[in-house]
Amino acid sequence: MTKLTIDGQEVEVADDLNVLEAAASIGIEIPHYCYHPDLGADGNCRMCLVQVGENTRKLPVSCMTPCGEGMDVQTASPAVVKARKGVLEFLLINHPLDCTICDQAGECPLQDYTYRFGPGDSRFVEQKSKKPKQVEFSDKVMFDAERCILCTRCVRFFTDKRDCKPLGIENMGGKNEITLAPSGPLDDPYQMNIIDLCPVGALTSRDFRFKQRVWFMDFADTICPGCARGCNTTAGAYQNKLLRFVPRRNPDVNSSWMCDDGRLSYAQYDLAERVRGAKVYGEAVDWQAAYDKVAELVGDGSGVAVLASTRQTNEELYALKNWAGSAGITSLWHGAASWAGDDFLKLADATPNTAGAAALGYEPAPDAPSGLRGLIVSGDVDVPAGLLAGLDFVVLQAPVGGSLGAAAVVLLPGRTGVEKKGVWVNADGLAQQVRPAISPGADVPQDWTLWRDMAGAVWPTLKHLQDEMAAAGASTPATAGSVADNP
Amino acid sequence: MITQASVISARFGKPDSCSLAGYRADGGYAVFLDALKTKQPADLVATVKESGLRGRGGAGFSTGMKWSFVPKGTQKPIYLCVNGDESEPGTFKDRQILELDPHQLLEGVALTCYAIGSHVCYVYLRCEFAEGIRKVQAAIDEAYAAGLFGKDIDGSGFDLEVYIATGAGAYICGEETSLLNSIEGVRPYPRNKPPFPAVEGLFGCPTIINNVETIANIPHIVKNGAAWHAALGSKDDPGTRLWCVSGHVNKPGVFEIETGFSLQELIDGPCGGIRNGGLLKAVIPGGSSSRVLTVDEVARAKMDATSMREIGSSLGSAGIIVLDETTDMVDAVLNLMKFYAHESCGQCTPCREGTPWVVKVLERLMSGEGRASDMDLLLDIADNMEGRTVCALADGACWPLISIIEKFRHEFEAKLRAPATPVSA
Repeated sequence: MTKLTIDGQEVEVADDLNVLEAAASIGIEIPHYCYHPDLGADGNCRMCLVQVGENTRKLPVSCMTPCGEGMDVQTASPAVVKARKGVLEFLLINHPLDCTICDQAGECPLQDYTYRFGPGDSRFVEQKSKKPKQVEFSDKVMFDAERCILCTRCVRFFTDKRDCKPLGIENMGGKNEITLAPSGPLDDPYQMNIIDLCPVGALTSRDFRFKQRVWFMDFADTICPGCARGCNTTAGAYQNKLLRFVPRRNPDVNSSWMCDDGRLSYAQYDLAERVRGAKVYGEAVDWQAAYDKVAELVGDGSGVAVLASTRQTNEELYALKNWAGSAGITSLWHGAASWAGDDFLKLADATPNTAGAAALGYEPAPDAPSGLRGLIVSGDVDVPAGLLAGLDFVVLQAPVGGSLGAAAVVLLPGRTGVEKKGVWVNADGLAQQVRPAISPGADVPQDWTLWRDMAGAVWPTLKHLQDEMAAAGASTPATAGSVADNP
Repeated sequence: MITQASVISARFGKPDSCSLAGYRADGGYAVFLDALKTKQPADLVATVKESGLRGRGGAGFSTGMKWSFVPKGTQKPIYLCVNGDESEPGTFKDRQILELDPHQLLEGVALTCYAIGSHVCYVYLRCEFAEGIRKVQAAIDEAYAAGLFGKDIDGSGFDLEVYIATGAGAYICGEETSLLNSIEGVRPYPRNKPPFPAVEGLFGCPTIINNVETIANIPHIVKNGAAWHAALGSKDDPGTRLWCVSGHVNKPGVFEIETGFSLQELIDGPCGGIRNGGLLKAVIPGGSSSRVLTVDEVARAKMDATSMREIGSSLGSAGIIVLDETTDMVDAVLNLMKFYAHESCGQCTPCREGTPWVVKVLERLMSGEGRASDMDLLLDIADNMEGRTVCALADGACWPLISIIEKFRHEFEAKLRAPATPVSA
């Protein structure tokens, strides 16, 4: 441990922390661009400079300065304030200041730090330098060299995290430009992370570009539904339409990254057609009529099984299980879906809550069970053909009906992974909060309320259900710690 | 009276000055072969430390002290890099050594490697030194053929490999950590320090980087002893240096002189005075990155580190640029600033953005579009660059800029009232 003083506060920190990190640990934010908690320090932007002792002639960058015993650091001395203002002025003189048409506006540290630490006016009366704009780095990433502040986060993401070098710097001095390497295209499946890493509007998402001003959007801190990794994400929506996922930092799960496939999967939740209200034999009925029909079909529960999607939350699975128990159904199965995983974040299990379903007693669905007469399907799940052979009836509760919905006797609506609230348990057993980013409307209630109402269970709110789960020991999967909530 | 010395330059211009035979005929490599037999590496480090030798590249750090920073008992290889990227405007002394007496440098390399425990040396030369590269490579080849380099030199058990690494013409590669990055084949951005190269340098291993002229001094110091060197010139900055004089003098050139002499006497004596019988206006005494001296300051200036510090400038790389009364100081500083803007590597924000900004303001002043606030603006831009970057390039741009504005402000103010002035090339 090292003891030092930062802005008059004594702090004792681990030996491997730099001054920027030590300050952050006591709530003192030192503005920075090139440093990133998951990329480390590079020392090029000079934004995080601080004063050590009385020396104002040389101001070291806090991101590259190891904490030293007895060090006296000032993060807002007159010399630091002036130098910081100077760095911001330098960054802005050749910047196009095209915030009016820049997608980064509203979530731009260049705007934010200028607002907080920058000069109020410009002393620059010369011609700004010209650099390439609208450079198509790939089908996913657009580059604007004039906005770039050359912090090299994008370059370092690939070299340090992805072991490839699709980007580099060409030219010298004021002519410096981030450029595509001649050796090959930018095709890394995690390339869109450089868009979030870019502290300015130099790298923008070709998918999200010009779609909406971020300050008009609504955001939900939730979990990517794409796979069992459970990457923490912030879902952004405008007028109840999902526009993007961006990764949300969680050092225990996804650091600051997510895969491009997961990121772009937001689009699949814009459902053109979906199940609304209850239907029996394709005819709209009121909820009670549908519930009555389900009860009639299930009878004493013999020969009937439940097949749940592992995209359902623990709460939904618990409510479903509770109903199944009351209906005399003993077979609780869960589905599966897979895609090509990789060795970075993306897992082959393309559903977010397999671990949660398993912990609640759901078992993998058998290929071809015998003696099955009816199947209750809950959630977005591919039902194996073997399960459907020779059934008398199917009840489907899901966002989209499809061919199975057309064949189902009773069809009930369901919410997608971006419309629900609850808990998913990732592949490492970490239980994480899922929050709705958009709402499908009153005729698509929260899934758990349907099974509650069918069972006659009285949980006025989700909280009541969660309390009961906690009391029953069902809220904590075997390997899970506490529910991770936006660390 | 200036007395020119003849240590480093003793063999310059002799008929056989570049060949091994010529060098050995003058006693060359005897010091190295003797040291292998009779001296311990630590003795050599101590000798160089006691000699008071300061680095000749510009920063003027104690050479022996630098050598002693190599971690004792390191298990990693230790590298010596010779900095021959000489590109400070006004500086052309290392080139003389490379082209006129390469074996003197190589014997220094051999002695230095033996002293610091290195078995590999990279001699880093800017690619424009085509002649120097040829001469040094030929000398290296001769040294290998004669068994002076290679394995088990003269049966001593000491191995030494020497390679030339060439740069691609960037000033920044003379910054020692950029030089390391250049040798490693990566973009030559200067490295943040710590770690210092002596601890973690080339390929992550302990590395000593010395200037060509510094290394060329080593055989003479080992041969003649620390006391001999310490007695040359000024006490706290002893030795001879190769002074490069350029600009408006009648006889520009490289002059070897012991430190501590009068700058005025150098100009009036060996340099033959100001051209066309004109008057002196200013001198940039230590390569373009040093603070300018006025006529009065030149008259007082003694050429050693302490005296120059007292007068507010530095000896730097010993590149003395003499400017006569016809010099437009705004044009002159614009010329310098164009160099720094061109050579900034662009890693650090203040230097990348600040040096071209300074150029644009100066160009506007030259074009007759200057504003009364421009001089203070330039000084403040400089204030926001100096001491705010990884390496000293921005400092090197700021020192001439600030000093020229402060000492010749009237010339800037005159631009505000004048029509456009043509910018010289």
